[in-house]
Amino acid sequence: MDALTIAMPKGRIFEEAYELLVKAGYDLPKELDDSRKLIVEAPNENIRFILSKPMDVPAYVEHGVADIGIAGKDVMLEHDRDVYELLDLGISRCYIATAGMPDTPMNEVTPRVATKYPKVASQYYRGKGEQVEIIELNGSIELAPMIGLADRIVDIVSTGKTLKENGLVEYEKIVDITSRLIANPVSYRLKQKRITELVENLRKQASL
Amino acid sequence: MTIQMFEKPLGMRDDFPFIAKKKAELRSNGTAIIQQAGYDLLQTPTLEYYETVGKISAIADNALFKLLDSQGETLVLRPDMTSPIARVAASKLLKEKMPVRLGYYSNVFRAQKREGGRPAEFEQMGVELIGDDSLYADAEVIILAWNVLKNLDIKSSRFVIGHTQLLQLILEDFGLDQEQIEKVHSAFVSKNSVGFESLAKQLPIEPSRLESFVGLMSTSTVEEWQQWIDPANTKQTSLFEGMKKLKTILERSGLADAVTYDLSFNSHMTYYTGLVFEVYGAGSGFPLGNGGRYDGLMKQFGLQVGATGFGLRVDRLLEIISADAEQENHTLILFDEPNEERAFDKAQKLRGEGVRVTLQFAPAVLAIDEFSALFSDVLRMEGAN
Repeated sequence: MDALTIAMPKGRIFEEAYELLVKAGYDLPKELDDSRKLIVEAPNENIRFILSKPMDVPAYVEHGVADIGIAGKDVMLEHDRDVYELLDLGISRCYIATAGMPDTPMNEVTPRVATKYPKVASQYYRGKGEQVEIIELNGSIELAPMIGLADRIVDIVSTGKTLKENGLVEYEKIVDITSRLIANPVSYRLKQKRITELVENLRKQASL
Repeated sequence: MTIQMFEKPLGMRDDFPFIAKKKAELRSNGTAIIQQAGYDLLQTPTLEYYETVGKISAIADNALFKLLDSQGETLVLRPDMTSPIARVAASKLLKEKMPVRLGYYSNVFRAQKREGGRPAEFEQMGVELIGDDSLYADAEVIILAWNVLKNLDIKSSRFVIGHTQLLQLILEDFGLDQEQIEKVHSAFVSKNSVGFESLAKQLPIEPSRLESFVGLMSTSTVEEWQQWIDPANTKQTSLFEGMKKLKTILERSGLADAVTYDLSFNSHMTYYTGLVFEVYGAGSGFPLGNGGRYDGLMKQFGLQVGATGFGLRVDRLLEIISADAEQENHTLILFDEPNEERAFDKAQKLRGEGVRVTLQFAPAVLAIDEFSALFSDVLRMEGAN
């Protein structure tokens, strides 16, 4: 059995995906006691998990240090990496949308958009033929319209609670997001049997 | 931007001695196999016209290094070797000798946007077999690529083979127009199963055939391809028979376990018109090389002939084979002025015996011990001894 290295985002996605794998019949360690561990081994299945920042998963997979990975579609849209997208896992469902203060049109002179996803945002506004200035931020994007840094934000919305609590409203939905199973092109060919098996096992779980 | 003295332009690399040495070995090993198979090596210029090679190369425009010559013509640093060789083959000189077998080991240039460290200049080693549209030519280049890799001690290489023309015919059979086919192609190139499955639902495909259509993406043997072949379509059946024949030849040559036949396999290089393949090896996360049939590219140079070939990326091969750094015999002779003549004679004698010798005037060395540690043997010819 080929050894398989899987890159996963820390936190919620990892837990959901881990559960999905267990349901799919993989014999993984029950207790993940130390949450600060960066590498988790599942010797019974000859699988190793690498836990990383969500944004970094496609980079690990593209370079082949992880054979497969689980990454949000948002990350894949933002970082255009050479990886194979094998399966929509249907977990961590959310979407990218534009939002802002209620009833405020875009500033006509200098329309500004704050976002963690500069590429997605710029593509979206270019596609609409609108010229905007993109301001890249790393977190607390909701602050931007509240303090007048930007008229709109482009960000992930899952429940809409964060927007509401900060007095913001959603304007347009850009794209639906779920977690995807991605593979390194070389690993996909060299470990094809194991990887397609995993895809099929997960597909059954994901479609339930 | 201020540039530090030791900096190089984005994507350019220095080859330090141990890499340069490895490369030289790789080059002589690889080109020997290529020549043995009847190919002649050639070199083409580093600069080509943008209008010809630049546009035909199928490398994205923003990946080309462009410059102007003194006449105001736009030039490019050659982004690949296939199109310059096609240009050469189309010239009068070689037209009469078809089929021609040409091999190369050359550097090519592709500008990098992402992560500055990626190489923008790298060497490629490969062959082009021009003027033969039989499947024996296709088989020949695949087997040759396999032999080159085997000779470099890359044992775990794997080939993935597809067929763009057959795929095109099959997609047309599903009633798709060219625009829709392009969309399917791009999902196939990036192996985007998720995108492909949702695309399949939007395409005007009969619901009864949807499952079969989605299955296009997951084949690994030639036999599996048969389900989409229309027995009444002679073009399809003859291409399919060709694939079966190719498989037999490859199996006979020892590649049975090294090949995957994936009908959806496709290249982003748009000039491929028939069989296409890519090769992978354990140890590199990126493909080692690729190849295929590109009759369409020859047509752009005004030549109606078949052509096929492969190119291997030397930098990726090095990544795999550089693991073993063997210690070689290298003798250091340290001498001072009184021993000058003796040292020179000794060096000449040893070199004559085939030993690699560095002759060094001892007082010029700052740290004798550290310097000596770089050699397997040290002869000190100093003082009165």
